Amino acid sequence: MLDLKLHAISQPRRREILRLVRDRELSSGEISSHFEVSRPAVSQHLKILVEAGLIDLRRQGTSRLYRARPEGLNEIRAYLEAFWEDRLGELKHAAEEEYRRVEDGNRD
Amino acid sequence: MGTVTETDVVEQEVRIAAPPGVIFPYLIEAERMTRWMGIEAKLDPRPGGVFWVNVNGRDKARGEFIEVVPPNRVIFTWGWDGEGTGLPPGASTVEITLQPDGQGTLLRLRHTGLPKEVQASHAEGWVHYAERLAAVSEGRDPGKDSYAM
Repeated sequence: MLDLKLHAISQPRRREILRLVRDRELSSGEISSHFEVSRPAVSQHLKILVEAGLIDLRRQGTSRLYRARPEGLNEIRAYLEAFWEDRLGELKHAAEEEYRRVEDGNRD
Repeated sequence: MGTVTETDVVEQEVRIAAPPGVIFPYLIEAERMTRWMGIEAKLDPRPGGVFWVNVNGRDKARGEFIEVVPPNRVIFTWGWDGEGTGLPPGASTVEITLQPDGQGTLLRLRHTGLPKEVQASHAEGWVHYAERLAAVSEGRDPGKDSYAM
């Protein structure tokens, strides 16, 4: 699922779509009208976003309505945490190493 | 749309076996900063001074220092250089506090002000780190951090 999400957001157009449907539900036609590209191209992007769990699809009569799934992004948010976790691990390592050197120097 | 507070804050804590006075320079000196984050940094640690870290040769974090209180606290803003990153320079805020903890230090990091819609684009740059994290969680060695080389 993570790979799907990352693949989904790696494309700038799909990130734009995600922003469009962040706070409101829009039909595929309304979404398409924001872009110069063809409707089938937009449909393909929407399909990928839905499969990645980043947006929800709701059918109403003949319309297909799309809206962002905020919880879909929570998983992605974990990546930022991973970034800091990784970096702080390195900071810990560097600072402790320096401190040990200082302490050893004081004992000599 | 859910609660904002759940998704716009990232918090981390780490215990370090060194006193705050040893750790603090790693937060404000470019040469020490690049030992744990980035390959290049420009830091002017005073309120309004520049905070700039070239994280991996492609993603460059930029902001400015807001508060510098040696050896316990530093606050700087954080965003990315360039157009269309979704998080312009200075858009979010990182606060790091160093609290004495026995012989060592409890470091707390709070990254706030991350708007929901940028988390996706933000994450794009973190794929590399995600892969490393996945490797670790599966018990594999992530290897040297090529982004930081």
